[in-house]
Amino acid sequence: MNTFIDRFSTTSAASQVRKLKEQEEDEFSDAAWGSEAGFGNLAKGIPSFSVPSVHDPTAFLRLHTDDHADPNCRIKIQHGTTTLAFRFQGGVIVAVDSRATAGSYIASGTVKKVIEINPYLLGTMAGGAADCQYWETYLGIQCRLHELRNRERISVAAASKYLSNLVYSYKGMGLSMGTMICGWDKTGPAVYYVDSDGTRLKGDLFSVGSGSTFAYGVLDQGYHWDLTDEEAQELGRRSIYAAGHRDAFSGNTCNLYHVKEDGWNFIGNFDISKMHYEGPGNVPGAPGTGYGYDVRVLGRNSSNPPPPEAAPAVAAHA
Amino acid sequence: MSIMEYNGGSVIAMVGKNCVAVASDLRLGNQALTVATNFEKVFPITDRIYLGMSGLATDVTTLRETFRYRVNMYTIKEERDIEPEAFAHLVSSTLYERRFGPFFIEPVIAGLSKTSSGAFRPYIAGADLIGCLNFAKDFVVAGTASEKMFGVAEGLWEPDLEPEDLFETISQTLLNSVDRDAYSGWGAIVHVITPEQVITRTLKARMD
Amino acid sequence: MDVSFALTGKGYVLVAADTTAARSIVKMKGDEDKIKSLGPHLLMAYSGEPGDTVNFAEYIERNIRLYQIRNLYPLRPPSAASWIRRSLADSLRSRSPYSVNLLLGGYDTSTYTPHLYWIDYLGTMATVPFAAHGYGSYFALSLLDRYHDPEAPLEEGLATLKRCIDEVSKRLVVAPGKYKVKVVDKDGIREVEL
Repeated sequence: MNTFIDRFSTTSAASQVRKLKEQEEDEFSDAAWGSEAGFGNLAKGIPSFSVPSVHDPTAFLRLHTDDHADPNCRIKIQHGTTTLAFRFQGGVIVAVDSRATAGSYIASGTVKKVIEINPYLLGTMAGGAADCQYWETYLGIQCRLHELRNRERISVAAASKYLSNLVYSYKGMGLSMGTMICGWDKTGPAVYYVDSDGTRLKGDLFSVGSGSTFAYGVLDQGYHWDLTDEEAQELGRRSIYAAGHRDAFSGNTCNLYHVKEDGWNFIGNFDISKMHYEGPGNVPGAPGTGYGYDVRVLGRNSSNPPPPEAAPAVAAHA
Repeated sequence: MSIMEYNGGSVIAMVGKNCVAVASDLRLGNQALTVATNFEKVFPITDRIYLGMSGLATDVTTLRETFRYRVNMYTIKEERDIEPEAFAHLVSSTLYERRFGPFFIEPVIAGLSKTSSGAFRPYIAGADLIGCLNFAKDFVVAGTASEKMFGVAEGLWEPDLEPEDLFETISQTLLNSVDRDAYSGWGAIVHVITPEQVITRTLKARMD
Repeated sequence: MDVSFALTGKGYVLVAADTTAARSIVKMKGDEDKIKSLGPHLLMAYSGEPGDTVNFAEYIERNIRLYQIRNLYPLRPPSAASWIRRSLADSLRSRSPYSVNLLLGGYDTSTYTPHLYWIDYLGTMATVPFAAHGYGSYFALSLLDRYHDPEAPLEEGLATLKRCIDEVSKRLVVAPGKYKVKVVDKDGIREVEL
């Protein structure tokens, strides 16, 4: 009976909450549901988000979000990833894997982890998939506005700084992203690492994600500034393969991009298992054989039996 | 972090017409890190019985040694090979011996048992980590990809498969399941046991 | 925090381990030898819980020696590996388990084959062409997938090992400074300078 009264009375606590909720919903602009793809609230300036109506929203979110301590909660955030980007004589190489995992379940093997911000800027995705996707798309909008306002393309430094300042303003609220903003501007090729802690680093070579250490192992050893375009693409591909092979949470395919003076180029999508057995296929810079260790060393072994010359000598003597 | 998922790996067994098949993946991991891709989890017990074990890798090796010892002792005392039914209970008792500090493995047993008429009847069984036996008429699964294998096997398996068709069914089930599991895969091995011979094949699998 | 590597080559196994002995945030010693010779053709690099490591390594060393004295021949690498693994596996379920990770490299003089075993403190054993323990493994394994050659002569094997050490020095925050490197082949065991 009490619940019945609660539901229909206009003075109970439940109805107060109900009213608050209705108010909130009214405030949400109609544009958000229309053709503006969730960016409708941009009309008011900086986007605003509805926050759970509890006294500590951040703690509430953490309670329901998958982190390392509790893999069983309901909201799963993508953790496993390998992404890399490096600068060299011929531009910037960006390579990523395409696996999305929820716990040990491989939820997808065809995720696009490179976000094409505009024809001259690429962003990579590690950490929260939604966070990266939303904010890098948002960054794209801001970059376009910058272009219109200043009749000049935004520099990679400025774009990455914009993103860095933006995520920093949400610090402590549970955003999770580790991204590389890559592109070509007046200063030439550029790579910036930006993460949700607010770190922003300019550099020549970065790798981010659970498989990054494995990618670094191959990348560092093969990297130098004077790489040819083909060598550089091969190195990016080979490094993502290395991570896909050794890291359980990376794999499936590799998406490869090359940024040059006239903007980025999509080089291709390479199946990591196919690279293991057969190599990346008929592409410039490919070795022509599989990358896999067992494939590479097939028929080779470490035994060193002594050469069989002593035996006939004894026989001849007898 | 679950102990049963620490090393990763999966095992499956299926019944066919006058034959059984048992298969495992080849990954040995340390959580997300893949340490080796040559770690077999299925072992011959007699000419007609194979035992698969998934779970904590150290216990897989230890129990393999334990069962080899116990089956040898059985063979010497009885002066005959152990039958699958008896072996299943040996597995069960061995696991229950450690009821309060268990071995972290789930065994899968596949074999052909001799009937009184001298013919062979397919036999498979699974158990939990403390030895509760599960006799199945179709298939048993264990390991980090077990949920996925249940799903795929439920769709692919049918009664009275000939050895070659059974091989195809168990291979497809295992390969497609481990492709959706981060902790299993990196190669696979299949044994098909028929009254005449055991056919063992390693499969080309995804290596990521 | 310990880092150790091992890799096989044509007729030899290379084993390398860092030489730091740390306690809390203090480096107590910079030239500790963490690779034991267990016989004329058997090497063992050990790492893990301080105290456990040396105690366990000496226990293994003495018992392998005892076997050789009793039988007048040493255990071959696969048998030694099995016994050592079992010692760790049994210890795991005892009142005070050893937390020791091992890389066991040996040369089998009767088959002219080098053997390498990766063994962790749980008693997990894998037979591998190259191996690593500690944080170093996250950088070295992919590198070795790319550069390791099972038929490499010693100079090439050392060059590959150097790549691993350089990579870890470059990327690992808590990278050790010095390593001791030993090699086992048909002629026995010797230490090598990188």
